[in-house]
Amino acid sequence: MLKYVVLVICFFLKIIYADLSHDLLTVQPRLNSLDNSVPYSKVCFEILNAFAESASNFTFCSLINARPIRLCENCEQHYVRFHDKYKELKDTAVNGTSCSSLLMSQDRLNVIQHYHDSILGIWDKGNCNDCFVWSNETATVKNSTTRFYKLFNATMECIVLNMASEKTIVCEKCMQNYLQLDEFYKTLSKDKIGVDCVCMDIVDSMNATRSIWSKTLECCVLRKTPEVVFLLCTGLISFLPILFYITVRFCGPIRDLPNILKQSRFKQTILRSIDSSRIH
Amino acid sequence: MSNSSTEITSECTSDTAQLISNDEASTSNYAELNQTTDIQESEEDDLQGSHGVRRRQPIQKIEPGSMNILSAKYESLDYDTCENHLLLDEERKRGYPFIIWKDIARWFIVLLIGVITALIAFIIDICIEEFSNIKYEQLKKSVDKYVLLDELYIPYLLWVLTNISIVFFGSMLVAYIEPVAGGSGIPQVKCYLNGVKVPRVVRIKTLFVKAVGVISAVVGGLAGGKEGPMIHCGAVVAAGISQGKSTTFNKDFKIFQYFREDHEKRDFVSGGAAAGVSAAFGAPIGGVLFSLEEGTSFWNQALTWRTFFGTVVSTFTLNFALSAYHGHPGDLSNPGLLNLGKMEPFPFQVYELPVFIIFGVIGGLLGALWNYINYKLAVFRMRYLGEPWLRVVEACLVAAVSATCGFLMMFLLNDCRPLGEDPTKVPLQLFCADGEYNAMAAIWFQTPEASVRSFLHDPMGSYKPGSLVIFVVSYFLLSTWTFGLAVSSGLFIPNLLTGAAWGRLMAIWIQYAIPSMSINPAKYALIGAAAQLGGVVRMTISLTVIIIETTGQISNALPIIVTLVVAKWIGDFFNEGIYDILIQLAGVPLLPWEPPPLAHNIYASEVMSHPVFTLRTVENVGHIVEMLKVVTYSGFPVVDPPLADENEVTTYKRLRGMILRSQLIVLIQNKIYNENANTTWSNLKVDMNMFRKEYPRFASIEELDISEWELTCTIDLRPFMNPSPYTLPHRASLPRLFRLFRALGLRHLPIVNDVNEVVGMVTRKDIARYRVWRHRGHMGMEELLLSSEI
Repeated sequence: MLKYVVLVICFFLKIIYADLSHDLLTVQPRLNSLDNSVPYSKVCFEILNAFAESASNFTFCSLINARPIRLCENCEQHYVRFHDKYKELKDTAVNGTSCSSLLMSQDRLNVIQHYHDSILGIWDKGNCNDCFVWSNETATVKNSTTRFYKLFNATMECIVLNMASEKTIVCEKCMQNYLQLDEFYKTLSKDKIGVDCVCMDIVDSMNATRSIWSKTLECCVLRKTPEVVFLLCTGLISFLPILFYITVRFCGPIRDLPNILKQSRFKQTILRSIDSSRIH
Repeated sequence: MSNSSTEITSECTSDTAQLISNDEASTSNYAELNQTTDIQESEEDDLQGSHGVRRRQPIQKIEPGSMNILSAKYESLDYDTCENHLLLDEERKRGYPFIIWKDIARWFIVLLIGVITALIAFIIDICIEEFSNIKYEQLKKSVDKYVLLDELYIPYLLWVLTNISIVFFGSMLVAYIEPVAGGSGIPQVKCYLNGVKVPRVVRIKTLFVKAVGVISAVVGGLAGGKEGPMIHCGAVVAAGISQGKSTTFNKDFKIFQYFREDHEKRDFVSGGAAAGVSAAFGAPIGGVLFSLEEGTSFWNQALTWRTFFGTVVSTFTLNFALSAYHGHPGDLSNPGLLNLGKMEPFPFQVYELPVFIIFGVIGGLLGALWNYINYKLAVFRMRYLGEPWLRVVEACLVAAVSATCGFLMMFLLNDCRPLGEDPTKVPLQLFCADGEYNAMAAIWFQTPEASVRSFLHDPMGSYKPGSLVIFVVSYFLLSTWTFGLAVSSGLFIPNLLTGAAWGRLMAIWIQYAIPSMSINPAKYALIGAAAQLGGVVRMTISLTVIIIETTGQISNALPIIVTLVVAKWIGDFFNEGIYDILIQLAGVPLLPWEPPPLAHNIYASEVMSHPVFTLRTVENVGHIVEMLKVVTYSGFPVVDPPLADENEVTTYKRLRGMILRSQLIVLIQNKIYNENANTTWSNLKVDMNMFRKEYPRFASIEELDISEWELTCTIDLRPFMNPSPYTLPHRASLPRLFRLFRALGLRHLPIVNDVNEVVGMVTRKDIARYRVWRHRGHMGMEELLLSSEI
């Protein structure tokens, strides 16, 4: 068992210190030659190698595509490979000993699991799966995603094309496109915000469009209107309770104040009997 | 005192002689007193009260809103067991198996109470959630549509109308069908547990009105919560189930007859109230402590344990039902109607304790102000809003103003936040840019409970301080205006909301002052919420535990306790807690925990009511009926017949037992007369169940159909009376009387002289009229007046 541990440590080192990898690769055959009775370890290491590569590829890709978010769309290939390799690592077993039991949960650092979880976390947090249709571990872009990007591109092109002219003109010209995009976006999710299930690429594109539309171009200023009737109504309704209270206070029938009940006490009885005896 | 005791001996002869002659003429005690205009009432007598206790001018009318009056209408519950022959018979017949059976039945009833209370809580919760969702979604659609058309008044009026119509329904129920179901119900339950019979408070009709009323109040957008009503619902459920019958539906299931007495019922009601707390807040231990703190004058270990069982059953039944409803049945971690969300254990340092104290001070001051405003409003309502329809109109107006307040705030404070950062159910865009929502609309377009959660859990920059200030002020006023309307809604949630809002505001200000520190807004929002609520209700133990349990963090106990204690002290400096204010306004003779201090020189002879109406051991039916019609008392000492020697007039008569009005009425109803012992009731089973069948609503004497011949018959009261009532000598002091009353839950206490002759009678009202007040650093005792008209 000890030698497995040594092997594992070597491979951790290899992942972390990539520069040293060739040195370690020279070590590895030496270790293997020391013990030819464990050929399955080689299989595991190959898978691990591929896994590490896919993880680093995905990490690189996701960082590059962080702003504006195109992570789901552009890194999908890497993710699929990464996912597959992890599954392979989990499932592969040589001579009844699985690779995962060799490589994972051996120490408190547990690097492989940790990297896997964090990459999966990013993918899931962005709801990336929602951009694609999954069948047999292969992803194809959803129809709704393509349609969204078609609308999105149309809107963006329109805005860029008219950028030179007055803001109001841009608003007018692109309103049709924008509204179409907005309406389509709202149909994508149940809560109409897109937090629950829509993939992050789409949410971010939409947010950016909306921001450009309403902040940079100020096309939403139309929303703000004086609303005189509304203000009059609120004034009237706020005034009603005051009127009510004043009316009730001054016009209502005044109820008689409650009377005090005489209590029958020893002292009173005695005083009374003294009085009555005095009268008699 | 030596002076007065000589008076007793010298004057009592003529006094009783007078009483006897009046007795024959059947003059009412009260009537007699009111007729005696010829007898001069000495001014001095009125001024002094008994024993020089402070008393205001001898007024004949009561000032509106006076808290120094006791209402003569309230009767006391009777927790003393009447050890008459029937009870002894029953005990002899049934033996120990019956005791075991009774214990099992008790546990079973507690289980049922827990389950049913939780199910009612579940129904209320789901109705509120679903109806609110529908309402706010429709409103959002309407706003989205009309904001572009410059016709914002349409959704506004729609909102106002929705609110008014929903509140109108609930308010009609409360105002016309069951006024006692108004408000939170906690004061009423508190009175009941203290031993005062509040009419109709534990009826099934009240439960129905309460449940429907609270749904309509919360859905109708009033600044109210559903937690207080839940506690009341629990109490009603307990009182209903434990009796095994319903007078409203005129149905007797012939079970649990042995629980049909005040004592047993009170124990179950305290358990039911605890189960209500537990269902409302998801706080089983808080529920037990609530019962302990707010109610029960006796408390024993077995009852505590049973109550705890009931609260746990209630919490987990509710969890089960809610989790099944939300689609993951079997998950038992969905506790409580009020779920403040799991809080992270927030770290706090020693130097933060003064900050918590300051929060407590602010909470106490705001709470005292809240109570003051609410008290003034309550007085106004008592004085000018007597008619039910006026109360309904008022409730509708408040509903309209609540909607107006919310809409104006959204309209005027354009506080925009990007979508998707917070879990917002109904993000309303209004004037915000696309992709943003109005933060104020998010607060107003959800139930107040969800708003509390938002204030507790949203990140630091979620709300602008300006919006918060306006929100705090308006919601503070709205909530104090709402509480006391003719709708059933509680004050926990509105106060938590106000407090959480100003707590968060303080957090923002502290952050501005010390930019280097990272302030956790959730911590200050929670402390603020606790301080505000503590300042209003002035509960300590149970509130602390409830807040700890709803947030799921025991490590937050210290800041919460510090804040609550300070809030209570500061608030008590100015006025009472809101529940006590309401109880005092209603004139309920509530007995506090301790007797008044410095009162050992007040003797039973001054406390007691003096001319006592007594019955002889074998009494004439005509006399009984006459007396029951004339006086309002409900307990009568049974005495030996006066000695036959007419020349030597007996002054007082020797005590043989006590009999209750209700017992007399049942006896007359069943015609248990000596004369027809062999005919009418020879085959009638005369046992305890005869009395239990009528409990708790005994007929009044006027309702009885008594024919002429019966009046000449006689009843032997000895088998039915309580042969050994608790008594005290006339020289017993007030604290002694008080402790006996409070600890044993007595209803009547005959005062006897040295030879066991009845000289007077002490009831709850006689003791409760000595009340201690302490405000603004002063303290004293005053003697309250009685009135039968409030």
